[in-house]
Parts: sequence; structure tokens; C-alpha cells
Amino acid sequence: MSKMDAFDQAGKTAVMQNIQGTMQFLQRFPPFNQMENAHLAYLVEQCQLRFYAAGDSIIKPADGPVEHFFIVKQGRVVGERTHVVKGGTETTFEITRGECFPLAALLGERATRTEHIAGEDTFCLQLNKAAFIRLFALSDVFRDFSLRGVSSLLDQVNQQVQRRAVETLGNQYSLNTRLGELAMRHPVVCTPATSLREAVRMMDESQVGSIVIVDEQRFPVGIFTLRDLRQVVARAETDLDSAVSGHMTASPFYLPPQASAFDAAIAMTERHIAHVCLVEDRRLCGVVSERDLFSLQRVDLVHLARTIRSAPRLDNLVALRGEIGQLVERMLAHGASSTQITHIITLLNDHTVCRVIELAIEDKGDPGVPFSWLCFGSEGRREQTLHTDQDNGILFEAKDAVEAAAIRERLLPLAQRINQDLAQCGFSLCKGNIMAGNPELCLSRSEWARRFSAFIREATPENLLASSIYFDLRVVWGDGRGCEQLRHGILEQVADNRLFQRMMADNALRQKPPVGRFREFVLTRSGNDKAATLDLKVQGLTPFVDGARLLALAHGISANNTLERLRQLVEKEVIDPLDGGAFEEAYHFIQQTRMQQHQIQTRQNLPYSNRVDPDDLNDLDRRILRESLRQAQRLQSSLALRYQL
Amino acid sequence: MVLDLETSGLNLNRDQVLSIGAVVIEDGAIDFGQQFERTLHRHDHKLAPSVLIHGLAPSAIAAGCDPAQALLDLMEFIGDSPLLAFHAGFDQRMLGRALKDSLGYKLQHPFMDVAELAPLLNPDVVLRDAGLDDWIAHFGLQVEERHNASADAQVTAEIALILFSQARRQLLDSPRQLEQRLQGWRRKRQQHHGL
Repeated sequence: MSKMDAFDQAGKTAVMQNIQGTMQFLQRFPPFNQMENAHLAYLVEQCQLRFYAAGDSIIKPADGPVEHFFIVKQGRVVGERTHVVKGGTETTFEITRGECFPLAALLGERATRTEHIAGEDTFCLQLNKAAFIRLFALSDVFRDFSLRGVSSLLDQVNQQVQRRAVETLGNQYSLNTRLGELAMRHPVVCTPATSLREAVRMMDESQVGSIVIVDEQRFPVGIFTLRDLRQVVARAETDLDSAVSGHMTASPFYLPPQASAFDAAIAMTERHIAHVCLVEDRRLCGVVSERDLFSLQRVDLVHLARTIRSAPRLDNLVALRGEIGQLVERMLAHGASSTQITHIITLLNDHTVCRVIELAIEDKGDPGVPFSWLCFGSEGRREQTLHTDQDNGILFEAKDAVEAAAIRERLLPLAQRINQDLAQCGFSLCKGNIMAGNPELCLSRSEWARRFSAFIREATPENLLASSIYFDLRVVWGDGRGCEQLRHGILEQVADNRLFQRMMADNALRQKPPVGRFREFVLTRSGNDKAATLDLKVQGLTPFVDGARLLALAHGISANNTLERLRQLVEKEVIDPLDGGAFEEAYHFIQQTRMQQHQIQTRQNLPYSNRVDPDDLNDLDRRILRESLRQAQRLQSSLALRYQL
Repeated sequence: MVLDLETSGLNLNRDQVLSIGAVVIEDGAIDFGQQFERTLHRHDHKLAPSVLIHGLAPSAIAAGCDPAQALLDLMEFIGDSPLLAFHAGFDQRMLGRALKDSLGYKLQHPFMDVAELAPLLNPDVVLRDAGLDDWIAHFGLQVEERHNASADAQVTAEIALILFSQARRQLLDSPRQLEQRLQGWRRKRQQHHGL
């Protein structure tokens, strides 16, 4: 064609003003504002500008696989879906200036599921599929955007949130601070041969609570703290001139300086220690104390854990629950993430459960049979919030059915007592009676194994529901080996059973994330609520939890935690890294919103609820919540595709 | 093909074409891959046609390109497409004269005037002697830039897209039907003015 030849010869030499103008327009919107100029110019050169009068159909399902990528230049595009049951149509979304469609259908090489109609007189830039693919290959920014769709927008919003948080928090420390930055002072050190007297003098001189005993290479071989000094003083016969090595705690725990304050807090809480050495290249480079970590915000996590673990009576544990609530409040206020908080709640809950069991055994006498205390559901996944039910069971070893029945008889009274005690500590009794005191949940390893096999073999609705609770099992107290064997069995059987996987996938699709309809959210009224709301847990988190569980079980991943499962799925290349990241962020945000809700409810003396009215959220939070729920939708559609549902 | 010319003035006999912008409408859409844009070099008003015979374009680089070459390029770019412009009569005569002067070529392409089509298809809109800016405002178009040939051709093309869409809704599917309707409209308007 002569026109094209002319263009080839002469057109490209000029910097076309209209191309420039359109590029400038696009540069006001993501992702175009981050694309390289050459890529953007390519995009515009390949575009056609099309006009649609209000009501004109732009693309519809009957058109077959989508052949074009559209950018709204002016006007508004609405999505309309025909209602199969009710008849008629409903508006499902709106796309305005600078926004693109239909990414999912284009990448999925399928027809759009929704008819796109011009909501008013509209101009769209239209890029053909070949050019879209070329651009997809050329531009990383464009590719990221297309793959994650709206989620890269989520990134930007998140960055804004963080910037704002940093502005309001000023230089206050966060749990993500690197330990190397917290340990400002040089650590006080001595050799193993140093006398006790000299070591204490050095501590006093530097006004510190610990001294690290190092070898010639400056590797920490021990630590001596004020706590150790207390014991020394208590034992009157100690010779203050004896070597400090005889009184130190040997092989002290250490972390690299790159680890976070959160890592140190967790280590201290788990190990009941008050100091963490920082070691780089096998040389001591600092010490972080409990006080360094918490002096600023007075979050006395370690102290709380220790108090729980040594509580003399049940009453003390009950009283301590209130402190956990306050701790969570302070951590939220200091910008801790939902993952950090659920992790800490789980840890403190584990301590409470262990202490309750120990106290019950002390009180009722040792049953004389080794057993492990199992937990399921969110507790099993380490995703507990303050608002939590009991889901637990007992696992023991027995050589046959007769012995199992006998052991069960001995353990049940103790189990029932523990359930009651836990209820007093704020773990509500499970309405479904998934509790160790129930004879059906106090089982030998082979009984559990048989039960789990039945779930997988006969995928009835009840069994599917049960597997979604029980297969997140974990040991809180007692020997963990039996539980690992059970898990191994589950993984093997699920991997082999495509039908079960498919049924689980079907189950995982049941809760539809409440987005994508008119006015952004699909809300329902529950009970006597004045405002329509959505359920953050059931409609927001459950799709991620169910999806991650299914994929993890199907791919031999033994992790229980949803985020950990997602991470390992990315490592195993089951999930694309960008998708994994987007899912993680979305899950994170929904959980965070839920916990903030709980805190507000506590403050207002309202009962805990997972329901939220999006209108109560600020603009930005509402927008991120909508995008987060869209990610849940994406995870579901990937399951639907994978299992052809 | 939507054309816009920037000229040194409005005198059809004396003023010269300074720049040309052209935008292609194909299959009902503006194709960004096919755009024409030239600024004409005008330091020598008596450019000899012999330059073309020699095939040598004198000093076409600095301020703009050689008008003769630019016009040749334009005609090649246009091919035999009908032309659309706002106040097409002006563009038709300016371009016609430029082609005749520079190339000895007689412009015979059919022209259609967007300034006529717009009131024809929007009889309810009362705009007296509406200019391009009036219609831009009426249709709520967002224009990045105005008064350069390319941008004006672009916005004229956008108006044309809207008008074609309106024409289809009024069951005027072909340019010929549109032309017939236009002739009727002109007659009526003349009668109206005559009264």
C-alpha cells in the first residue's frame, strides 16, 4: 500500500505531534507513566482511536476470543452481565479514563465474560493482539501490570500508605528495623578466663545488663546477664574470683545484624531470653536486649510470654488474656503487620495452651500415657486473631483398638478439663465440638490416619469441610513426630487423588469474593444490621486459605500457614512469583483490616465481628480492600482453570 | 483522510500553506500508525518546478522540508481517499493552489466539510456559524493542543468519528447517502437565507 510506504519512508523521521500528544495523555496513568518512552511510542503508533456512542457494545462474549486491548481515552465503559436466573442485566464494573480492559480475557486467550458497553460517548485507544504481545515482551513494566492487573496499582497504594505511616511515625522504630541499627553501642566483652568480679565491674562501668564471653576470634561462647548475677548472689558460697565461664550461659543464641527486630522479639519470646547476640562472619558485632527492642513502645512481649509460661494458677492465665489484647493494640498502633501480630498471638496462645495443660496435669495427676495436643483450623495455620475458637484434639500411640480405647478412657477426663480451662482463658468452646474432650477427637495415630483417609476417599460435603479444618493440624504440646507421620500420609494420598483435589477446588470456589458488581462491593445485610456489610473472614480470607491449602496439599508442601504455603508454591513454580506476591499482599491487607476492626470493637465494648461496612473505611483503604478482594477472585479463577471447573 | 492546513493567512490568492497535518480514518477508527505531518520550508516563494525534475530538494532540512516534496509526499499518502476537513472549502482551495503552483497538479479529490456535516446531523444544536472550537466544546472533546495542523486534523477526525456514528444511527450508511443529504440540507439552508 502506497500510504504505508510513504509512512515508512518519511513518517517515522518526524516526531509526530499527535503521537506525542497521546503519549503525554497516557503518561498521566499507570502503568504508562512508568514505561520507557520508546515502548510507549510503539504502543501509540500501533493504536487506533475508536468512538463509541453511549450504549454501543465494544466487546461481548459472543465475539469469541478477544483480539484487542483497549484503553479508555475519554468517557466511561461499563460491564454488563446477563442474569441467568433473574433475567435482565446488571452493571458489574466501570472503567474510566486511562484504565484498560479486558486483560484477563486477552491473556487467557478467551472471550470476555462480560459485555463491555460505552456508558457514555467514549473514545478508546485500541491495540491489536499482535502489538499487545510484542509490547508485553518488550516492556517489563507493561508485562508486570498486565499480569497482575490491578495489583500493581495496589503496590502503589501500599507505598503511599507506608509513606504516610512513616510521616506520622517519624523516626519511631518499627518491628522491621534491622537489628544492626538497633544495637548502637559496642558490646561489652571479656574472655572465658576473666574473673566474675572483673566481668561484673565491666558491666557496671558500661551500665549494661549483659557481657558476652568471646573466644580469640571474637565468636560468642557464652553470655552473662543480670539474671545470672542474681543467681550468683543468691548462692552465697560463690567465689567472685572464679572464672566467669563457670557461671555464664554457654552457646548463646545469635542472629545476623540483617535480621529484624521482629525476628529478635520472636526468638526472645520462644526461648525466654532477654539478649540476642549479633554475629557476622562468626564475629560478635552487637547485642540487642529486650529493653533495646521494647523500651520505645513498652511492648513487653517477652515478659508476657514468660509470665504466661510460669503462671502458678489458672486465674493468673485468665487475667493475662487482657494483657494480650493490650499488646496487640499497641503493636497495631506501632504499625506492626497483621502477619507479625497473628504470629505473636499464636505464640502467646501456644504458651497459654501449654500452661493450661501443665496446670491441669498438675491438678488432676499425670495420666501416665504420653500424648500430643493437636490444634486445627486457624490455630493450626498460626493465623489466630484474638477472636478465636477452640479446635483441638489429642493424638496418642496405641498398638491396637483395645489399647486405644483404654488410653482414651484415661485421657478424656483430662482433655475435658483442659477444654473447660481454655474456655475460661478466652478460647471459646467450639460449637461443632471439635475438641479433645470429644471421644471422636481423642484418637490413636492409626485411628486418626484411618479417619483422614476416609476424608480423602469419600469426598462428601461433610468430609470436605472436615478436611479443610483437620488437614491444617499441628502439635502445640507434646511429641511432634506422630503428627508429622499423619501429615506425610495426608500429602501422599492427596497427591494421588485428583478427584479429591477437584472436589476441594470446587469447595474453595464456594465463597465468592464480594467485588466486581455495581458500586464496587457486593454487600449483604446480616441480622438486624442497619448497613449492608461484607464478611472479611469468610468472603475475603477464606478464598486464599482454601486455595493455598489445596495447592499445598496437592504439591506435597507440608507448611500450614497460608502465606508460607503461598511462598513455597512460588518456589515450586506452581504459582507465578508476581501472583504469589500479589496474593500475599492482598491476604495481608484483608487480615489487617479485620484486626483493626476487632480492636475498634473491643474499644467500643462491642462483640467481635468480621463484618465491615466499606463506607466506614477511608477512600484509600476501601480501594485497596476492593483490589485485595479482586486478587482473591483471581486465585479462584486460576483454580477453576487448573481443575476445569 | 482528515486534513488540516495552517496557512500564512486567509487570503486564498496570496497566502501560502505553511504546514499540513493529515490523519487516516480506516475501518471507522483513527489509525495512529498512519499520520502525515509536514512543515513547509518557505524562504523562497518562487520555487522553480525544475527542482523536481532534477530530483534535488534544496535546503529541505533546516526549517522544514521542500514544499514540492512535502506535497508529493502528501499526495502519495492520500492516494485516492476522499478528504475531510473543517471548513473544507478553504483547505480545498489552498491545497489546490499549492499543488498547482508547486507541482502543476490539479486537485480533484472529493472533499467533505465537517463544518457542514456537524449541523446537518445535529439539527437540535443551535450554534450560529460554529467554529471548530465550538464543536470541540459541544462534544466535550479533550484536546491536548490546538492550532497546529496535526492536532487540528486529529480533533477534526475525532469529531468525524462522532458524526459517522450519528450518521449510522440516522441510517446514513454510505458517503453517497451522506452527500445526498448534505445537498438537500444546503438547498434548504440557501432558501432559508434567501427569505
